[in-house]
Amino acid sequence: MNCQEFWDHLPGPGHEITPSQSAHLTECATCAAQWTPHRALAAGLHSIAEEWRQTEAPPRVEAGLMASFRAQAGYQVQRSFARSWWTPVVAWASAAAATIALAVVLVRGYQPAPAGPGRVAAPHRTVLPVAEMASAEDDDTSALGEGFVRLPNAPRIESNEDYNVVRVEVPGSAMIAAGISLGEDRAAETVLADVALAADGTPRAVRLVPEGGTY
Amino acid sequence: MHQYSSQSDDELLLRLRNGDDQAFTALYRRRQAAIYRFALHMGGSTAAAEDIVQEVFLALLREQCGFDPERGTLSGYLFGIARKLVLRNLERGRSSVSLESETDEAGPRELAVVDDPLAGLTRHETIEALRRAVQALPRRYREVVVLCDLEELDYADAAVALGCPIGTVRSRMHRARALLLEKLHQDRKPKLAVDAWKPMRYAI
Repeated sequence: MNCQEFWDHLPGPGHEITPSQSAHLTECATCAAQWTPHRALAAGLHSIAEEWRQTEAPPRVEAGLMASFRAQAGYQVQRSFARSWWTPVVAWASAAAATIALAVVLVRGYQPAPAGPGRVAAPHRTVLPVAEMASAEDDDTSALGEGFVRLPNAPRIESNEDYNVVRVEVPGSAMIAAGISLGEDRAAETVLADVALAADGTPRAVRLVPEGGTY
Repeated sequence: MHQYSSQSDDELLLRLRNGDDQAFTALYRRRQAAIYRFALHMGGSTAAAEDIVQEVFLALLREQCGFDPERGTLSGYLFGIARKLVLRNLERGRSSVSLESETDEAGPRELAVVDDPLAGLTRHETIEALRRAVQALPRRYREVVVLCDLEELDYADAAVALGCPIGTVRSRMHRARALLLEKLHQDRKPKLAVDAWKPMRYAI
């Protein structure tokens, strides 16, 4: 083994050098001298890795992601109350959307794209203004801002709770199911929505983002 | 959740694709910290690192996420997405670490420093000095040091993340260490004498 081969084939961090590399160090004073600071450097880098071992993303990131995951599934929350008053709404909305799509096909020969799972945009953290939170009235969603609708069977929204708002893309049918007024012809589209998440990451309320993208 | 801890990344990915939110949580908790640290080491901003973690895992939720088990591990794939996002942030200037010029891409050269530039430093001083040196590396060397030395990826996974052959990872590692030693040597204080460091496993 020559010097070039020795340095080119060093094992990755945490691995021993091979016997042939070790033999090269005993034969080559130059490489042996350079190897000493190299070992110290590896040890120092390992110390940084140890120092940072416990560093991880804050819990709010997981909460936001879980909300997006649930939103992508079209709010298919697997709970016992899933079959409640709004279940027929979903059925009727789906039926209406299918009827309209069929009518379009018959009249115009248009082939609508199948509705895939909702594409999800990156959620962003939003700190709700204190003034808004304090002005909660009877409508508990007023604490969240304009246009929010509490999700079916979600707990009441308390004005002193912390919320994150994430912006996601969801199927229009899911918005209809949540009670948002949306044209039935948009049931198969994906639409932008703001979802208000409680501190535990559960979605509480939702609002449709208008075409302009801002509230 | 316990039942998921023994499952492979690929198995968890399959489950989450079928709507299993616990599989998603398990995979997230297994991989998020390393991605977050990588983003922090590369970009330096906690807000940007959080966003990168979010976007990396959101990418997994998309049907066409592009992960191919034949081409490498999920870990390498996730680091690859994170790296692209880091580069995007660096190009936009949303980082406390600059996107240095990439002119220093000469082939591997011999290590010019033959004494130990870390000798005599306390643990805290060593970590700080090394962190500064890592942050000062040109981006392509910094990322290989962060992946292989700080996050302890093997060269194969690092190659997947960087989108280059393993040989390139090796040569960049060699060059990066030479640069780190030079930087540390330049910054070294003359008063230091105590040998504070014991080389770890990476030794003869």
